[in-house]
Amino acid sequence: MTESPVSQPDLDLDQVIACHGCDLLLENLEPEPGARLCCPRCGEIVKTRKIDSINRTLAFTFSGLMLYPFAMFEPIMTLDTMGLRNQGNIFSCMTNTWHSGYGFVAIIVGLTSVFFPLAKLLLLFLVALQLKQGRSTPTLARLMRIYVHLDEWGMLEVFMIGLLVTIIKIHHLAHIHYDVGFFCFIGLLVMALGSSLMLDKEEFWKRIEHGKT
Amino acid sequence: MEKLDLHRSRTAMEAGIGVCHDCHKLQYLGELHEVPCPRCGAAIHYRKPNSIARTWALVLTALVLSFPANLLPIMRVDFMGSSDASTIMDGIIYFFQEGSYGIGAVILTASILVPCFKIIGIILILLSIQFRWQSWLRHKTILFRIIEFIGRWSMLDIFVIALLHVLVEFGFITSIVAAPASNYFTGVVLATMFAAITFDSRLIWDADSEPTVQFSARPDETFITTMQAGELHGKTSSQKT
Repeated sequence: MTESPVSQPDLDLDQVIACHGCDLLLENLEPEPGARLCCPRCGEIVKTRKIDSINRTLAFTFSGLMLYPFAMFEPIMTLDTMGLRNQGNIFSCMTNTWHSGYGFVAIIVGLTSVFFPLAKLLLLFLVALQLKQGRSTPTLARLMRIYVHLDEWGMLEVFMIGLLVTIIKIHHLAHIHYDVGFFCFIGLLVMALGSSLMLDKEEFWKRIEHGKT
Repeated sequence: MEKLDLHRSRTAMEAGIGVCHDCHKLQYLGELHEVPCPRCGAAIHYRKPNSIARTWALVLTALVLSFPANLLPIMRVDFMGSSDASTIMDGIIYFFQEGSYGIGAVILTASILVPCFKIIGIILILLSIQFRWQSWLRHKTILFRIIEFIGRWSMLDIFVIALLHVLVEFGFITSIVAAPASNYFTGVVLATMFAAITFDSRLIWDADSEPTVQFSARPDETFITTMQAGELHGKTSSQKT
């Protein structure tokens, strides 16, 4: 713990916690695993303790990474209409939009549905793996920070709903045959959601910090 | 503010403590405006810098972009050589006429109601901070949480168009491509998401002048505690580090 000597530190910073929703100072209680600490003023969840966070995060991110290439590059479905067939995969959502001249849309679609989900899984996997082995390097904090910033920019679940809307839109126009990619994508989504649900950021940060010293 | 008996300060800022935006570590700031976080390296401020101005800029950008996004066609369907461009609203009306009310409602919510709600909601919160309205603080926080949460769901329409473009590609017979409004619509989503990121919800509470926080237990198993809630401390003393 490095204390900056500017002000009169009359509070032990380990004893207090500040709500990041409304800045209220609260007593730093340790909730039981699985429980949450809520701010009495604004209702923000101040602290959560997840059970067996590192192992579970590791398991979910690893499974997610295994599924990722199949979910992105295998065809998700085949459309059959009037003797014509057409297949598509998720990666081509980005490339096709790019080729049709909407570069900005293509970049955003690519980032939010292809690159950021991968980056999130990879970062979390690397951090969890290092913490599991009890190692901590200065890069670990940097990786974790990138993860925190990318958190809401990976939009697999929005993409999934988009996929459902698309299916409803075209199911009466053509016969739809679901391919491997579709099921791998659902698997990837479950793993990605699971990994962020199992992640206990507070514990991860604490471990990163203690490894540093 | 001398509201607390045990401690002189009620908020972290009043105590001279800054909270790291990235890893939520506490750090004494005192007179300083910026200090690097010892744990993660991010800059610690009392409040996000220029939060109000940046959020205004982004939300006004979103407001301006939402006009072309809704008025221009967002998707073009080519069928047997004839092409038919449709705006967001056309797509929704199509679903309602088809009788698929559920899916129509989903798209209506994600593409029209959510962006409107976000822009109006953020503007209301910003105005309330600038005019120091002290009421409905908790409701404004909940409103902001909702805005933060639903932000990403507006990308739905863009994903649908990208997917249709890939899947419905039968050459001359029929194909679906994006149209100019998709650029603007993506811009609206990005601007509102960034607006939610630059906004600091603690600014809502800086106007708070309520004397003490009511200490109450929730029906679920969550702990609720304030600094002065000594009695709870006894109950959960086993967890104290």
